[in-house]
This record gives sequence, C-alpha cells and structure tokens, in this order.
Amino acid sequence: MKNSNCVVKLAVLLMMVLVPAFCLAGDLDAFKGEKQGLKISGGTAHIPVMEEAAKRIMSFNPDIQITIAGGGSGAGIKQVGEGLVDIGNSGRKATDEEIAKYGLVTHMWAIDGVAPVVNPKNKVKALSKEQLQDIYAGKITGWKDLGGEDRAINIYTRDESSGTREVFWEKALNKGEISGKANVVASNGAMKSGVANDPYAIGYMSVGYLDESVAPVVLDTVTPSIATVKSGEYKVSRGLYSNTKGEAAGLVKAFIDYLSSPEGRKIVMEKGFIPAD
Amino acid sequence: MDFQDRVFRTVFFGASVLSAGVTVAVLGFMILLSLPVLKMGFLWEVLTSPWSPGRGQFGILPMMAGTLALAFLSLLVSLPVSLGCAFFMEILHPRGAGALLKKLVHFMTAVPTVIYGFVGVFLLVPLVQEFFAYGSGMCILSASLMLGLVISPTLILFFSESFSRVPQHYLNAVDSLGGTVFQKLRHVILPQAWPGMLTGMVLAFGRAMGDTLIALMISGNAVLMPSSLLDSTRTLTAHIALIFAADFDSTEFKILFISGIVLYAMTSLGILFARYFHKRALS
Amino acid sequence: MTRSVPDRLLSFFSWACALSLISALFIIIGFLVLKGYKALTPELIFGDVRPLDALLLKRQVFGGLFPAMAGTFFLILLSMALALPLGLASGIYLAEFAPSGTKRVLSFLFDILSGIPSIVVGLFGFSITIFLHHYFGGRIFPCLLISALSLAFLVLPYIIRTTQIALESLPLSLRLTAPALGATKARNIFYVLLPSSLSGIISGLILAMGRCAEDTAVIMLTGAVATAGIPKSVFSGFEALPFYIYYMASEYSGPPELMKAYGAALILLILCTVLFVFSHGIKHLLRAKTQYLPNPL
Repeated sequence: MKNSNCVVKLAVLLMMVLVPAFCLAGDLDAFKGEKQGLKISGGTAHIPVMEEAAKRIMSFNPDIQITIAGGGSGAGIKQVGEGLVDIGNSGRKATDEEIAKYGLVTHMWAIDGVAPVVNPKNKVKALSKEQLQDIYAGKITGWKDLGGEDRAINIYTRDESSGTREVFWEKALNKGEISGKANVVASNGAMKSGVANDPYAIGYMSVGYLDESVAPVVLDTVTPSIATVKSGEYKVSRGLYSNTKGEAAGLVKAFIDYLSSPEGRKIVMEKGFIPAD
Repeated sequence: MDFQDRVFRTVFFGASVLSAGVTVAVLGFMILLSLPVLKMGFLWEVLTSPWSPGRGQFGILPMMAGTLALAFLSLLVSLPVSLGCAFFMEILHPRGAGALLKKLVHFMTAVPTVIYGFVGVFLLVPLVQEFFAYGSGMCILSASLMLGLVISPTLILFFSESFSRVPQHYLNAVDSLGGTVFQKLRHVILPQAWPGMLTGMVLAFGRAMGDTLIALMISGNAVLMPSSLLDSTRTLTAHIALIFAADFDSTEFKILFISGIVLYAMTSLGILFARYFHKRALS
Repeated sequence: MTRSVPDRLLSFFSWACALSLISALFIIIGFLVLKGYKALTPELIFGDVRPLDALLLKRQVFGGLFPAMAGTFFLILLSMALALPLGLASGIYLAEFAPSGTKRVLSFLFDILSGIPSIVVGLFGFSITIFLHHYFGGRIFPCLLISALSLAFLVLPYIIRTTQIALESLPLSLRLTAPALGATKARNIFYVLLPSSLSGIISGLILAMGRCAEDTAVIMLTGAVATAGIPKSVFSGFEALPFYIYYMASEYSGPPELMKAYGAALILLILCTVLFVFSHGIKHLLRAKTQYLPNPL
C-alpha cells in the first residue's frame, strides 16, 4: 500500500516535470541533449531573428552556445565556405559560382525588401527611380532640387560585402553608379542610426529594420513595406538565406529547421519579415 | 658562470628571441599573404590608384592619403595645446596645479579609445554637423579633433619630460641675468628640449596613424581623396576593419595585407625617427 | 613683480591650454556620466536573471552586459597569462644578461613591435587563425584564445619595457651586495633585484591589463562577436565590453539599447580607472616600503 502510494506520487511528480516541459518546448525539442556550439555570421538583416532564436534555444538548453557575428552577406558566404562558421547568412542568393566552389546549400527562410530611407524630418518622402539613381550617382546633390531644404544630400551606402547593397544596386539603381562621396556604414543597424541622426541623409536598408526613427521613401508611387513586398507591388525585394557547406546536419539542421517551424515563423514575423513558404 | 646561471640565461634568451620573433613574424606573415598580389606585379598600381572593386581598381591611395591627413591634422590640433600644458606643469606651476594636471594627463592615457569614439559619435558629430550646416558631421574635422585629444597625453608627457631634462643651472643663469620667462622658453628650454620633443611628436604621429576606432567611428569612411575638412575620409586602419569581413580569396582581401604592410612600414619608420631623435636628446 | 607682455601672454596661453584640456576630459566623462548613470542598475548587467544565478552560471544572461564583462575578464586573464612569462623573461634578459650588441638589436625589435598598430596585430592574429585552420583540419576558428594571443603580442613590449626599466633603475649598491656575498646571478635576480623592482613591474603589468581591457581593433578581427553568451571554452567566440560599445554605437535598435551602450561605456571607464588607480597606488605604496627597508634581504 505504502509502496504503490509512493509510485503514484512519483508518477505525479514526473508528470509535473515532464508535461510542462513538453508543452512549452514543442519546436525546441530538437535541441534536447545537444551540447555543441553553433557559429553564425554574415548578413546583418538576419541578426534580430538570429538573436531571438538563439536566446530561446540557449534558454531551453543552456549547454548549447550560439555565437552570432555580422560582417555582411559576402562575409557570411565566404566564412561558411571556408568552414570558419557553421551557418553563413546572406541577404542575397549565393551565386552559382559560390555554390559550386564551396558546395553550399542555401535555405531561404524569409522574404524581405530593401527600402530607400530618409530622416523623418526630411520633407522629401517620394522619389522616382531616376531621381534615386541620380542622387546615388552624385548628379543631384541638393535636397532643394527635389523640393526639400537648401542643404546638400548626404548619401549613405554599405560596404562591398553587403547583400543589401547588392540588391539595392541591382534592383533600385539598375546597376548605376554609387558616388565615392557616400559615407560607408557596415550594417543595417548602422544605416538606421546613421540616417536617424542625420536630417539630410539618404540611405537604404532592410524593410524589416524600418521603424519610426527613419522614413521609407515612396519609390515610383509604391511605399516600401512588408505589405507591398508581400503583394509583389514593391519590386526591390529579396530572400533572406542561411547557407551551409553541404547538407546541414545535427545542431545546424535543427537550427535551420527551427527558423521554419511555427515558432520560428512567428519570430520572423515579429522582427518585420515575411516567413518564406 | 655556474650551471644554474647558464640555464637561466639560455631560457631568458630564448624568451627574448621568441618575443622579438613576433615583430618579424607579423611582417613575414603579411608579406607571405600578399605575395599573390605582389607576384601579379601590380603593387605600384595598388599604391597609386583609387579604390573601386566594381571596376577592378583596388588602389589604396585614398586610404593612405586619409591616414596621413588625419594624423597630420590631429597633430596640428594637439601640438599647441600640449605645448601649453607641458609648459604649464613643468615651468609655470611645477607644484600644485601643475602636478594635478600631470595626474590627469596620466589618467587620460588610461581612458579607452572606444570611449573617445563613442562620445565623438554622440556629442561631437552632431555639434559639428549643426555648426557647419553641411554634411553628416562624420568628417575629417570631427575625427582629427577627437584624435588630437587621444594623442595629446603622449605629446604632453614627452614635452614635459624633455623640459624637465633641461639642466637647472641653465635656467638659473637666465634668471640671474634678469631674463623673462618667455626669453627662458625661447632661448634655452625649446632649443635644449627640441630633440626630445621631436621624439614625442613622431611617436604621437605614429599613434594617430595606427588608431582604428576614432577613424572608423567618426570619419565617415567614404573612399575619397581628402580635400576639405568637412569631407568624409577613410584611413588604412578603418579600411582593414571594414573590408576584413569580405571574401578570403578575393583581391580585396589580399589588398588588406598590403594595407597592413604599408601601416607597418609607416609606423616603423616613425619609430626609427623617434629612436634617432631620442638618442640625440640623451647625448 | 612687473611682468613683461610676452610673459603674460605665455602665462595666459598656458592657462588656456591647461583649462581646455581639462574641460575636454571633463566634458567627455561628464557627458557619459550624465547620460549613462541611470543605466547603472543590476538589470544592465544581469538582464532579467537573478545575479546569483548568473554568477553561478545557472542561467544564461540575455540582454545584459554579463557575458561581455565575463568575456573581457577572461580575455585579460588569458592574455596576461600568455604575455607575462615571456615579457618578464625578456625584460630580465635585456636588463641583466644581454651583451650590448644583442641588446641593441632586441630593443630595436621591441620598439618596432610597440609601434605596430593594433589592427595590424589583429590582422596577424587572423592570418594565424586561417593558417591553423587549414593545417589542423578546420578545427581552429577565430576565438578567445586567438584574441588573447594577439593581445599578448600587443602588450608584450609594455611588459618587457617596464620590467627592463624597473630592473635597470635599481641602485648599483643594491645590485652588488648579494654577488659580493657570493650569490649567483640567478639568485641575485630572484631574491634581490626582482623583489626590489616589484613596484615598477606590477604597476606596468596593471597598465598592460588596462590595455587588454580597452583594445577593440585586435579583438574585432580575431573572435569578438555580437552575441555569444558566456564563453564555454577558449576555442569559442566571445563578447567583450569595448567591442560591445563599438558595436552598439552604430547598431542600437532604439533608446533602451543606446542606454545600455552608455552603461557599458561607463562600466569600462570605471574598470580602466580602477586599474589606473591601482597601478599608481602600488607604485607609491611599494616604493615607500622599499625605501623604508634599505635591505630587502
């Protein structure tokens, strides 16, 4: 009698421990028992999603250590190719050449756009593609010519490693020139704080990064936003990729699968992107 | 020499060779890694052309000019202030206020560069932008003002040391002849302390060239030959930090090692000069 | 006393310079303190985790500075452990053993080393990593160990120089006493010379620690990352305070993150101030002691 009582108590106790764990975990189950490190680098647009996912995974299983670095899409692709990181993120699709050279496998988990942005104080909030190209080429140099204040335009751009720059240059600038006078910043975050602090700035960044500190520029009558990217109206769009060298396995696979799980998709949406199908 | 001594001497000698080996290894590694570029025979092109990877131009000339311009201007900013401070604490007020100033200057050497950069971004840059109503505020002027502040402790401490090395009886002689403080400075202290001051200037210039954070954070990083104080510029150090992330096989990346070699050469040249002047100061 | 016009101008100029330097320093510190003091709360460091849980590594801290502070701590510890033996031994060799020709060559090389910009040292550290990565079957990555090693190279000349100067500035009488009594050179060094020059050496070491704590350029090329948590081994990436400040200065997502960056800057400033005060304190304390005891034996 006493014995069975004990067994019941034990069973109840076990249930109390296990059931909530199962209920809460769900999509995180794959990380149980893993004890390794996971190194991620590359695209800076990806970082908010990566950080949130890492936080949840590392809270669920403190034995896992996930490190996240920026560097830009080029860096992500090259570093994963050289085997320096496990996952290399890119805000553009890896080229066929890169895929062949390193044996990359690409995983697209979100859709994003690249929006031209100005400071919210700037009166100029709509441009045609030609105007945008002329600004970046250095042909239009003053806001006055566009109906704004009589001040010089401060152009902000990204370094050559940036996937955001690549997409913007290809789809918004039609591969036009980017003036050498442009200030160069190293990430989407730096672009946002740069434009937010400079009333006469123009820059471009991931649509997922848009908030009230910067104003998106209406490009040829289309306002860049998650909605217009989703509907296909806003054409300067791109996928967000996580690349692995060869097929992902183990913890790497678990992480990439997590990004497409219901919980992962929720994180992607919370951070301002569109989960890929 | 007994056995124990010989063992210790050998161990210590080994350690010294190892440490000195680092100096050589840094240069060696960079030459090794930039060899592909050197072999392709466009070293000259790299040193003399602009940077535009899109067009296949990988020159670091604008960055070299940026580095020199920024170092020169920051020295220009810092020189008069440092001279005044050194004079203040060695000649005018050797005790009391001067000693306090010296303590503060010593403390400044301990303040992290990233903090100067951080305050530069959030205090100096907006001020410069507002004041000149031009550009983003991330410009040569902002960077050289901040960099001037960063190198001033080096200058001040070297100046004050050179001043203090002027023999006291020279100074007494001027005093007894009824010379003014200004005459003392002009005819005795400055000529006597000059070699030591030059050492300090060369070393401070080297520090300014080698600094990464200030340039990276507040000079704007545009690849542009510097032409105006309010223009943005990129230094070699910032260039390394920015391009570092790129592709290991690319030409861009290999050029980094050339940038490294150029920096190494420029600062080593500075050290050579400094050692030469230092020797003259001591003799 | 009447003073000539140039003298007055000179005095005015010196006062102006001294005051402008001091005010620049105070504006910088004041700006940080005014903007950042509100951020100095336990949450800044530990986020929403209980401090004890974080310190005992029971829970990972997210959104707090704890991982960055731990990273900086380990970085200082590791790089000093690497640089100390090498630097001390080299300094002793230069001061006590080296023949003048060798000494000239070595001190020339150490001078060059001390002038190499930290970003170049970082680049060197990174190229070593790539080298090792290729030759060790891809098991070496930019990591805490590589950063510490590169930082050790950076502070090596400081340690060598302070050791050498501390030893060389000892009075001749002290230097000769023990050998005159029949002590070997090694014994003289370890029992007489090193203990008497301890103040100089230790204060130099602490300054070198400050250098390890503040350097950003080296670690951004050799393993510092945006998010890592507490480093689990020397072969993993890590967060560090100066890198966090640099990163957040441009990456902050809004006012709360910016506040944390101000808080981090204040903490780093406090850390470096403490090290600085320590270094000076030890110098004066030990100097007073050694002067009081004429014979340290």
